[in-house]
Amino acid sequence: MKVSTKRWWPSHSSARRLNAVCLLMIGAAVLALLGVDFQRYPVDPWQELSRIGWGLLLPGWSEATTLIQALLQTVAFALLAVAVSTPLGLLLAMAFRWRLVRMLCAALRSVHELFWGLIFMQLFGISPLTGLLAIIVPFSGVFAKVFAEIFEQQSPLPARAAPKGASVFIRTLYTLIPQSWPALLSYTRYRFECALRSSAILGFIGLPTLGFHLETAFKQGQYSEAGALMWAFLLLIASIRWWLRPWLIVPYLIAAIWLLPDTIGFSDGGSLWRFVSVDIWPAALLAGDWHGLLHWFSVMFSQQVWPGVVQTLLLTQIAVVLTGFIVLFTYPFASRALVGPWLRWPGRFVLLVLRCTPEMVLAFVLLLLFGPSGLPVVLALALHNGGLIAFLVANASDAAFRSGQARADDPRGLTRYAYIETPRRLPALMAFLFYRWEVILRESAIMGILGVATLGFYIDSAFEEIRYDRAFLLIVVTALLNMLVDSLSRRMRGAFSQQTNIT
Amino acid sequence: MTASAELFQLIRCTFRYSGPEQGERPALADITLTIGPGEKVALLGPSGAGKSTLLDLLYQQQPQCSALQPQGGGLVDLLSAYQNIFIGGLDRVGTVAALWNLVRPLAGQRQAITDLAQRLGLQDKLWHSVDRLSGGQRQRVALGRALFRQQPVFLGDEPVSAVDPVQAAELLTYVLQQHETAVVCLHNRRLALDLFDRIVVLQGGRICCDAPAGDLSAEQLDHFYQQDTSPLNPVACGHQTDGWVIRTS
Amino acid sequence: MSRLYGLLKSLVCVRLICSSLLLLALPLWAQAQAFVFTAIPDQDESRLQQRFGKVADYLSAQLGVEVQYIPVKSYAAAITAFRNNQVQLAWFGGLSGVQARRLVPGSQALAQGYEDQLFKTYFIAHQDAGLEQADELPAALKGKTFTFGSKGSTSGRLMPEFYLRQQFKSAPQALFSRVGFSGDHSRTIAQVQSGAYQVGAVNYAVWESELAAGKIDTNKVQVIWTTPTYPDYQWTIRGDVDQHFGVGFTDNVRKALLEMNDAELLASFPRLRFVPASNGDYEPIEATAKAIGLLD
Repeated sequence: MKVSTKRWWPSHSSARRLNAVCLLMIGAAVLALLGVDFQRYPVDPWQELSRIGWGLLLPGWSEATTLIQALLQTVAFALLAVAVSTPLGLLLAMAFRWRLVRMLCAALRSVHELFWGLIFMQLFGISPLTGLLAIIVPFSGVFAKVFAEIFEQQSPLPARAAPKGASVFIRTLYTLIPQSWPALLSYTRYRFECALRSSAILGFIGLPTLGFHLETAFKQGQYSEAGALMWAFLLLIASIRWWLRPWLIVPYLIAAIWLLPDTIGFSDGGSLWRFVSVDIWPAALLAGDWHGLLHWFSVMFSQQVWPGVVQTLLLTQIAVVLTGFIVLFTYPFASRALVGPWLRWPGRFVLLVLRCTPEMVLAFVLLLLFGPSGLPVVLALALHNGGLIAFLVANASDAAFRSGQARADDPRGLTRYAYIETPRRLPALMAFLFYRWEVILRESAIMGILGVATLGFYIDSAFEEIRYDRAFLLIVVTALLNMLVDSLSRRMRGAFSQQTNIT
Repeated sequence: MTASAELFQLIRCTFRYSGPEQGERPALADITLTIGPGEKVALLGPSGAGKSTLLDLLYQQQPQCSALQPQGGGLVDLLSAYQNIFIGGLDRVGTVAALWNLVRPLAGQRQAITDLAQRLGLQDKLWHSVDRLSGGQRQRVALGRALFRQQPVFLGDEPVSAVDPVQAAELLTYVLQQHETAVVCLHNRRLALDLFDRIVVLQGGRICCDAPAGDLSAEQLDHFYQQDTSPLNPVACGHQTDGWVIRTS
Repeated sequence: MSRLYGLLKSLVCVRLICSSLLLLALPLWAQAQAFVFTAIPDQDESRLQQRFGKVADYLSAQLGVEVQYIPVKSYAAAITAFRNNQVQLAWFGGLSGVQARRLVPGSQALAQGYEDQLFKTYFIAHQDAGLEQADELPAALKGKTFTFGSKGSTSGRLMPEFYLRQQFKSAPQALFSRVGFSGDHSRTIAQVQSGAYQVGAVNYAVWESELAAGKIDTNKVQVIWTTPTYPDYQWTIRGDVDQHFGVGFTDNVRKALLEMNDAELLASFPRLRFVPASNGDYEPIEATAKAIGLLD
């Protein structure tokens, strides 16, 4: 009998489509490898690495008051920001049918929290409002997108059956929201953890959260202080489920408002208008000098925008694919169905460490190990995001295991991994990966210390040089790139999404 | 007949799901049931009577020699019908061969599974991923996985509920031929009376009837379901009866 | 029609949430009329609040107004705060001071550190780079890996870049195989010492103090070239403080700074003492920044 390969994976196979998407991504990454400098330099890192190691092993708790204060403020910013951005995201999700709303949300989330922070700092100075908005604005966009996708996955029948006279808002309130309540809740809970990370990271630009002290300690080589901060943050994240109880949320929110730092000094109200009307536009444009504007633009394009876009896309593509492999290799060690209820804890701990360690710290350690090149950039991004996605995938696996989806006669070990768990998790894994594609694109910003000139590197330089016109142009380019990747990933996910509800 | 010759044996067994939401009533109460090799048993009873729980308990007594078909099938959506059926035979091939089969189906297994698919009416759908199949087709894939286990005992939870009546009877007959012993939860009284030699009826977690099929008639089975509308628990049972009536009519 | 109504309803909800957000933020918007300053020392950024809180207490006693200190993370943040009048006085680096004074007309440099009159940058290299101490930047730098300090630093970026361009007539990115920005002088030293980068540019004062503290292994990393001297850190004050805090306030601040002689306070910067400075002292810095394209 003649057998063509076509018969094994015809177009009626979701697996085949997914495989095609995977191969496409891997192929693109392999091509990207040709364009990235992965040169390794001979290094002598052991003295510094051993200091870092001792710092982590013997953390210094002498600055306990500062630590606790920073910890509390980290939580306060995260709580308030999520409390505001969740309902905002929900409302935006209800209006997600409108292209304008979709574009607005894509624009909001396409700018990294740190850059939102830098923008709002121009407007509101170093103040709690700056910190809150820096989280609220992008998070609302993310919530809107994810909530809208959760709504899409629900059966449309209850909403269709609801009285036509009722408003969209009321109909959603009575149909889609209750239908998808568990999914909304679990995503919000996960997002709170993200908000804690964002809140901590915002310390890098001056908010009094954990990142403020972590950056200082790391920068100045005070590794035992850095160790204490890292451990504290790790414990904070690991213990969320014990301290974040539904009935405690209202008291927490009140406490959070009280805990926010005072605004020192005052900001004159004119800075907002000056920022939007003057600062972000090139001087040539404001002067009406079209020739000068063209020159400004061509210089920016040839020296920063184009090389930045190319570097960013190449590194992102490699990092995304590497992230995928890291997830496939690590998630089984944290999954109950695969390694059992007890043995999964070491695996879960490693994933916790990976996702709680800011990429900046990972990048620094990897820089010491490999020297400056694309290699530590890609590894840092892939390890951090791989740890995060593997954690989510392992959680999904455990949830399915608990809910009794698992059959008593399912195979065990490697065959279970290959036949049951991985095929079941793969669509979600790919979806997470596509989300992180955007995130990784934004995060490549922090790689200036590695001498890798991504878009984020140029944005950071523009802010540092107080050239907001450049920063604005570069942020717009980054946002457009993000939206492009977003629509591409949406389309690719469409290729393997399950065609439920249609018979 | 000695006790060791019995395949399944439950004596005054009560089973309660753990967790606060499960309420006071046990899923199974005071069950005494013995099933020997060669018996073909149909489990009847309204939804929520405890049939699936009972089937699980039976499976745990003989996991080595039982082919299980749980409700919903427990299929892996992304994989093709072929791979889902193949999972049933994973323990008969080595790990390396099993992994290679994901890349390129093993020749010997392909033949066996193609034959089986023919029998199940799935020959055209063998290479479709199961998320693209209809409910009835998915159920036949799940049945295929159980058949490919090639065990002497079949434990099925409504294995043909989504298949049309004529095909349902054919498939069930085939399954009963292929297995020495079978315990099958059913909603269809006609199939139970025609194809099985023993009928066990559950109500509210208790066995209310356990008799040879030849001793029972469709009217008697209706009688058991009418008892379920007793004033003891009128609201809950009223709801359940609806399902019962619709499926048997 | 119902769709429009639904949209309106959603909008009302958004409005409600926005206004509650504002209510939340407003009380935090304390309109304190205190005199606020900021400072980022060129070394040891730990416990800023405690250390500079004492400087604030000193200034408060000298000036007779409430003085507060606000910690910032970067020169850019300090410039922004200065420009937005969130702070009225700042301890800037040479370059950031120039940038800030260009953005706030009327602002002036008041005083600089004694050391800042004759500041310099060290070029340091890892042993394996095979570079020796020399009177001019060696041609062998070509193709090495190189790290600056922070992007906006005078000693870690501006001056070294200027001398590199002067010597080699090309941008650092073209000269070196890779150019990084460590973000901090201590990091620069650590990264060159570990061999992650072969060459780096570092603030001389930080190098000397880390050397004295025994953190540097001179078998691994050495100074290979020293830049000519240039003016660096200085106190800069906004031009409109006299309007807000009374006539002669600027002079009082300068006097208070010059008279600061408590070793503990001075150690926070760390400087021996402060000496008078003027905007004109920083013209070379401005010219250099323009020459390498950091200022338009």
